[in-house]
Amino acid sequence: MRTNKISLYAITGFSKNNIQLLRLLIQQELTLRYKRSVIGIGWTLLNPMLTSFVLWIVFSFLFVGKLETGQQFAPYLMAGILLNTFFNQGLLQSANSIAANGGVLTKVSVPPRIFAFAAALAAFTNFLIGLIPLAAVVYISGQKLAITFPIVLIIGLFMAFLTAGIGLILSVIFIRFEDAKNIVNVLLLILIYLTPIFYPIGILSSRMQEIVSLNPLTSFLDAFRWSFSNNATATWRDFLYLALVSITTFAIGNLFFKRRWSKTIAML
Amino acid sequence: MRVIEAKNISFAYRVLNKNHSSLKTLFRDFLKGRVSIEDYVAISDLTFEINKGETVAIIGKNGAGKSTLLKILARVIKPTNGEIKITGQVAPMIELGAGFNSELTGRENILFYSSLLDRDINKVKPRINEIINWAGVADHLDYQLRTYSTGMVARLAFSVATDVIPDILLIDEVLSVGDGEFAVKSRKRLNEIIDSGCTVVMVSHDLATVAELANKVIWIEKGQIKMVGTPTEVIAAYQSSGS
Repeated sequence: MRTNKISLYAITGFSKNNIQLLRLLIQQELTLRYKRSVIGIGWTLLNPMLTSFVLWIVFSFLFVGKLETGQQFAPYLMAGILLNTFFNQGLLQSANSIAANGGVLTKVSVPPRIFAFAAALAAFTNFLIGLIPLAAVVYISGQKLAITFPIVLIIGLFMAFLTAGIGLILSVIFIRFEDAKNIVNVLLLILIYLTPIFYPIGILSSRMQEIVSLNPLTSFLDAFRWSFSNNATATWRDFLYLALVSITTFAIGNLFFKRRWSKTIAML
Repeated sequence: MRVIEAKNISFAYRVLNKNHSSLKTLFRDFLKGRVSIEDYVAISDLTFEINKGETVAIIGKNGAGKSTLLKILARVIKPTNGEIKITGQVAPMIELGAGFNSELTGRENILFYSSLLDRDINKVKPRINEIINWAGVADHLDYQLRTYSTGMVARLAFSVATDVIPDILLIDEVLSVGDGEFAVKSRKRLNEIIDSGCTVVMVSHDLATVAELANKVIWIEKGQIKMVGTPTEVIAAYQSSGS
């Protein structure tokens, strides 16, 4: 056991007690947001359903029949919203987590990255909870869960790594430049349109399709829709691409953060 | 045995010559060639050592660099230059209750704060009763912290922070909080900690406390060590310097 503890610390820079802290932080992130609401964490279930419902009413007239045969628009749309929420939430919350906990970080010696990881993992947990209403929608629209659906866990984990990586980079930039938040918000909006979240990729011109498939989120989304309920086609290239992007981003994020941290903390 | 060894440590905050809070102003000034980076030196070239079991007080005027030094000792920041070697577990009491969340209950806060201080919460759980009894908040354990009075929060934080005796305890003016009774109680606790052989480093403006508790005083002025010695001689020199 003892060697185990030491090696864990050596690799991650986290102690065994830090793992407990990570768990407490994820718990807080999930419960505190809804502390004063009546149905509490139930909003995590309701939110994607309500958003999907609104968008479904708006877009189902436009895009019905544009999907490939055997695919259904409602679960297609909801999967997109779920994954996009995961991405936005994980990214923005881990980016904000460092500044938000500046008061603690300047007084107690605790690995700062733990806060970013907790935010990304909380978004992951929200995503997992959101799979329940998604499964319901899949059955309501007359489909079945694909046998491959456990793969969703792996895709989600890669997404958590991706958001934590970007979050770490942004956290440093946000502390330095308040304005960067607004720029990132615009970029995220552009990204929503560059990802086939609410439209079938088939409606785009072939040139646009090429651009959209370069977006790693498209691969994430295709892989997710395919694994969950066969509402998209995904190849091994998509899986390879998303895994590579996620791991590389995570590594770069950690490296960047480690380098900049001693300068950044002086601004907190 | 030396537990803290600082060799020529310095810390400089890197600041732009003007405060550019937005990219726009930074870009505008950059185009006009008015951007330059300056180092604000908080402490420079400090060399000192602290032995196990010593109670060391750091004194000096506001802005002398005391808090920066304490943050380096707490391993929150690293010195920009020089080397520091710290042996053992450090418990920082730089701000009581840093990390307390007013939306969480007293119990949740005890566990969370302990976890922040790198303690095993499974070992903290059986100690909760002792912690709240000492702090005198036993009736409020499962209420949210925002229902606590300021004094209760301070007592709870002090109780959690001192529940485990660390190798090195760092204190920044924390004894100035709370009501009279609590001040006496916390002083007693602090004396117990000092007597137990724990190394204590404190920053204080209260020279009476320094004279009473410390057996070594480091006087810092403008980021540099002005004098190190016994409380009597350093305090005398500090007072006669007109500070």
